[in-house]
Amino acid sequence: MSITHLPSLASRALRAIDRLAPPAAAHAHCDIPCGIYDPHLMQIAALTVVRMNQLVDALEQDQAKAKNNLTRYIVVKEEHAELVKREARIIFGDYFKPEHVEKHKDLPDLFWNILKLAGKNKQELNGQAAQELLAATQRFAEIFWDTKGVATKRQPSNQAVGGELVVPA
Amino acid sequence: MRRIARTAAVAAGAAAAAFAARWLAHAGPPLRRFAVEGDSMLPAFRAGDRVLVWAWAYRSRPPAPGDVVLLRDPERAGRVLIKRVAAPPQGAPPGHVYVVGDNEPMSRDSRQFGVLPLSTVIGRVLWRY
Repeated sequence: MSITHLPSLASRALRAIDRLAPPAAAHAHCDIPCGIYDPHLMQIAALTVVRMNQLVDALEQDQAKAKNNLTRYIVVKEEHAELVKREARIIFGDYFKPEHVEKHKDLPDLFWNILKLAGKNKQELNGQAAQELLAATQRFAEIFWDTKGVATKRQPSNQAVGGELVVPA
Repeated sequence: MRRIARTAAVAAGAAAAAFAARWLAHAGPPLRRFAVEGDSMLPAFRAGDRVLVWAWAYRSRPPAPGDVVLLRDPERAGRVLIKRVAAPPQGAPPGHVYVVGDNEPMSRDSRQFGVLPLSTVIGRVLWRY
């Protein structure tokens, strides 16, 4: 059904009214990035948290440079743990639907666990907690791709940090 | 002559009263102006298009597939969306609408947020101006 255009006189009259009292906005809603969701960034952020723990462990003590680096590593750890939370929230809140939770009943707990582990990784220098955070994001990624009917595989990160990333097979 | 004039005046008064009553009952005017923003209704509506909306459209009948409607965004309070009514999926509850943007890849609509109660519908687009 097509919507016809008003005759020009009526149209001009309404446009004149619009200038005096602007019309309300009707959003032909488009969310940037328009339904594009990907759990990749979340895993990279978790991997970064793992890496920062490694770098802190490798620091030589009692040097000014080491003090500076320690601060930098912890700042990066803090930021990336927060990034994991943010990405998890976007995918859990905006992408996942009730039928996905119906199929993957562990999803709400997994999401909660990611938030808790990210918080723990902010509070502590804890390589074990960082590995657990990475594992939780990998599982989250597997569920994400499964809801799209996409098979996944675990591949080496090919980074100094080691570890694996879940990617579409 | 005077009787005709008086009858006409009474009829006009009654019509005005009925109109005012409907206005009050709907808490708003029957015609409303909106300016389209965004690209999810391309090619039928472009950003900047102005539309005149009949707010009393669904008093006597429910929205029909093909109608272009204005509705309150279920995901963001205070925001108004323009979408096209589509056939609802099987098992959708009565008194609800299923809306889809014409520009499907660019639209966030019932495919994401599901059917919406009729109370979210503001009205039907009558004309573009």
